[in-house]
Amino acid sequence: MRQPFLFLIPVFCGLTASASGYDSGPQGARVLGLGGASTAYINSIAGMSTNPGLLGQWADSLTRVSIGGIGQIRRTSFVGQDTYQRTDQDLVVQPGGYLYATHALNKRVALGLAITTPYGYHTKWPSTWEGRSVIQESQLNTYFVQPTVGIRLNDNFSAGVGVVYAFGKYSQRRALGQYDDPNAQTQFSASGSGFGVNAGLYGRSGDNLSFGISYRSTVQLKMNNGTLTTTGVPTRDASLAPASSDFTTRVSMPSTLSVGIADHITKKLLLTFDFSLSGWSAVDSLKLNVAATGSTPARTQSSVRRYEDALSFRVGTEYQVNPKLTVLGGFHYDETPVRDEYINPEFLDANRVGVSAGLSYQLTSRLALEGAYSFDYGQLRTARVSQNDEKVSNVAGTYRLAVNTASVGLSVAF
Amino acid sequence: MKHFSFTLSGRAGFVAATALLLNACAPGQDTPTPTAAIDLSHYLAVGDSYTAGFSAGGLTRTSQQYSFPNLMAQQFALASGGGSFTQPTLEAGTGTGYLNLLDFTATGQPRARRVAGAAVRRSVIDPAACGGPDTVRLFTRSATASALPQNLGVPGLKLSQIEVAGLGNETNATPGGAFNPYFERLLPAADSRTYLQAVTTAASSATFFTYFQGLDELMPYIRSGGTCGTVSTSLAETMKLNARKILDVLAANGRKGIIMRLPDIKTLPLLRQGQGKNVEARLQAFYHDNALIYIESPFVPGTSQPITDEDYILATALPRIGQLTPVQVGSSILMLPYGRDARNPIRNADVLEKASELNILTGIITTYNGGTSRALSLEGLAKLYKLPIVDPAQSLYTLDTGLLFTNVGNSVAIGGVVYSAEPVRGNFFSLDYYTLTPRGNALLANTCITAINRAYQANIPAVDVNKLPTTAQ
Repeated sequence: MRQPFLFLIPVFCGLTASASGYDSGPQGARVLGLGGASTAYINSIAGMSTNPGLLGQWADSLTRVSIGGIGQIRRTSFVGQDTYQRTDQDLVVQPGGYLYATHALNKRVALGLAITTPYGYHTKWPSTWEGRSVIQESQLNTYFVQPTVGIRLNDNFSAGVGVVYAFGKYSQRRALGQYDDPNAQTQFSASGSGFGVNAGLYGRSGDNLSFGISYRSTVQLKMNNGTLTTTGVPTRDASLAPASSDFTTRVSMPSTLSVGIADHITKKLLLTFDFSLSGWSAVDSLKLNVAATGSTPARTQSSVRRYEDALSFRVGTEYQVNPKLTVLGGFHYDETPVRDEYINPEFLDANRVGVSAGLSYQLTSRLALEGAYSFDYGQLRTARVSQNDEKVSNVAGTYRLAVNTASVGLSVAF
Repeated sequence: MKHFSFTLSGRAGFVAATALLLNACAPGQDTPTPTAAIDLSHYLAVGDSYTAGFSAGGLTRTSQQYSFPNLMAQQFALASGGGSFTQPTLEAGTGTGYLNLLDFTATGQPRARRVAGAAVRRSVIDPAACGGPDTVRLFTRSATASALPQNLGVPGLKLSQIEVAGLGNETNATPGGAFNPYFERLLPAADSRTYLQAVTTAASSATFFTYFQGLDELMPYIRSGGTCGTVSTSLAETMKLNARKILDVLAANGRKGIIMRLPDIKTLPLLRQGQGKNVEARLQAFYHDNALIYIESPFVPGTSQPITDEDYILATALPRIGQLTPVQVGSSILMLPYGRDARNPIRNADVLEKASELNILTGIITTYNGGTSRALSLEGLAKLYKLPIVDPAQSLYTLDTGLLFTNVGNSVAIGGVVYSAEPVRGNFFSLDYYTLTPRGNALLANTCITAINRAYQANIPAVDVNKLPTTAQ
C-alpha cells in the first residue's frame, strides 16, 4: 500500500497547487461519505463523473441507476478590520443533485450518463452589511450532462471518455453605496453553456489494489444573454447608470487531474486515497462586458480573481458491517485557489479540512438507500485592503468559512 | 406502527430546534473588544469650520451632528471610558442655511442654490465688507452657553483672533467690528471672554483633546482669490505663536490629544478643480478649439498672461469661464469669452496666481505644520508636549490630514464605494468646495481614530462610513 502511494508523490512535486474553489463537492451520497476519494472507487457509479475510466468495470449484465439530491450550506462570518462589527452570511441552501445510469452494450463496452451539479455557490450577505457595495448576493449554478463510453481493455484495465455539456446560471447583486437611497443597487444575471471532455483510466494489480487516473478539461460557460439592471440612481446620474443594459461574460470551471488508489485491507474494509490538482488558474478575473445603452458607452466591469491552481488530498474508508449495511467515512484537505490579496466576499474560500460520514443500506437486493454528510471548516482568512487602489473593490476584515453538505440518494441495479 | 405526527407545540419546537441547529452553521469568530486605553471620558474639540461641522456652506443642526468630533465621540462611547459629548446644537431649521445641488452645467460643474436659514436673532449688514456687502447673522444662543460645549469649533475663527476680547460679545456686532456670531452663541450673553479664555475654562475638565485649527485664517483670502486681506510669511509666525498659546492650555499636565496638521490647500476642490492647464484642456475639448486661458498679471496692471499649471482658478468661478462678457477694447465694446481671450483675462478675484499668492499660502501652511524657525510649529509643539508618534510611516507626532486629502484626491475605495475630491459625486467634499460631507467627516474621524489606536494602543472601532448620508441636509 505504501509503495504506490509514494510513486504518486513526484507527480505533484514542484506544482504550486491547491482544489476547493466553487467546486460543490462529491457528486453522490456514497462518494460524499467517502470524502470524495473516488478516482479508483467502483462501488458506486457516481465515480463516473470523477473518473470515466471506471465505467468499463460495470460492463456486465446489469443496468445501474443512481439518483439523489444534495444540499449544501456554505456560510461565512466576517469581522470588520476597523469597525469590529461581526456579520454572518444569511443561511441559504444551495441545492444540487445527481443522476447516473450505466448500461453495457457488450462485455467490453459500456455506456453511461451522468447528470451532476459539480460547481456552484450561493453567497448571501445581509443587505445592510459593511461590504454591501462590494456584494450582497451572488449565485452560480451549473448542470453538467456527461454521456460516457467505457471500454474494458482486459480483465485488469479499463478506460473511458465522456463529453460534457454544461449549462450554468450566474447572478449578482450589490448596493450602490455612493447614493443615499439604501435600495440603490445593481443586479447582474446571465446564463450560458459550454463543453468539456473527461477521460480516465482504471486498473487493478492483484485482487486487493486498484488505481485510477483521470483528467477533466476546463469548461467555459459562455454567457451572452446577461441583463444588468440598476435601481435607485438619482436623476442627475441617470446617464451614468442606465436602468437596464445587456452584458456578456465568461465563467470558467477548472480542469482537474486526479490520481487515486483503493486498497482492500480486508474483505470488508476498503481504503481509498485521492490526490487531485485543479487548474483554477483558468479563473483570472470576472469580466462583465456591458453593452452601450442610449448615451452610456460600452464598458467593462472587471473584478480580479487571479486564482491559483489548487491541490486536494482525500482519504476514504468503507466498511461492510453486514450484507445489508455499509458505512463510509472520509477525511479531506482542500487547498483554496483564492490568494490572500484577492479575498473577496462574493465568493469566500479558504484552505479547509473536512470530515464526512455516510451509509448505504440495501433495502432489497436491487435497491440501496444511500446517505452522507460532510463538514468542512476553513482556515481564518484576513483580507487587507489598499484604499488607494480604488479598482479593487473590497472590504477589510477576517473571514471564517464552514461548509455543511448532506446528500440522500437511491441506487438501483437490475 | 406508531403514527408519526406533530402537535402544534411540537412542530414549533421542531422548527426552533432546526433553526438553532442551522444557525449554528455560521462559524464563530472572536470580535475585538473596543477599549480606550486612555481617559476619553471628557473630550474637548478645538478648531474652526471643520471641527464645528460646517458643511455645504452652512452650519445646521444636521451638519453639527456629523461633525468629525461628534462622530469620534460616538465611537469613543463604544469603547470603555468614552463619556458624553456636548455640542452647541442649533435648533432644527435655524442656522446659516446651506447650499443645495441644482444641476450640472454642460461642462460638468455642479450648480448650487442657497437655502436660507430661519430664526435669526438679528442681522447686521456690513456694506463695506471686502468682496461686496456682507451680512452677519446672530443666531439663537446655544443651550450649552452656561457651561461651554465640548465641541469648541467656531466657523470662521481666525487663529490671529484668539485673544481679541469681545469677539463673542453682541455689542461688537457692528459693520467692520471684530465679531464672530458662531462664537457669540457659545458664550453667555454680553460675555467678553476671548476664545483662548473660553478654551482655558473648557480644558480644565477635559481629559482628551483634538486640535485642528488654522485653515480659517487663510480661507477668506483664498476664497476671494487673494483680494481680501493680505498674507505674508510673518502670518505663519503669528499662527504658530497663537497655536502654542492654545496648545499650552490643551496639553497642560500631560493631557493626551491629537494635533492635526493642515492639509495642502491645493487638495481642496476649491483649487484642485481649477488647476490652470487642466481647465484649459477641458474647455478646449468642450469648445473644440485651441484657445488658451489668460489671467490678469499681478505685476503689470492692465496686462494679461497665459495661465500656468500652478495658477488655480477658484472652483466657484469655473462655470463663468468661457462665457461671453462685454469688454472695452479700444473705443468699442466687444463680447469676448471670459478668460479665453487675452483681452478678457480672468480677474484676480477668480484666481490664485502662483508667485504672488499661492506660494505664500503653501509656505505658511508648511511652516505652521512642521517648519523649523523661532517659534515652534505644530510638529515641534507635539514633540515638546511629549505626545506619541501618530504616524510611524512619516515619523510624525501630529496627524497629517493632508495625507487623507491627497489620497481622496487620487480616489480611495472604502468598502466598495469610491470617494474622490469631486464635489457631489466624490462624496467627500461638500458643495462649498472646502468643507466635508458627513461621509467626509467620517473619513476624517476614522483617520483620527486610527491615529489614536496606534499612538495609545487603543481599540476604538471605526465608523462604517458608507452608512452615513452623502449630504448634511
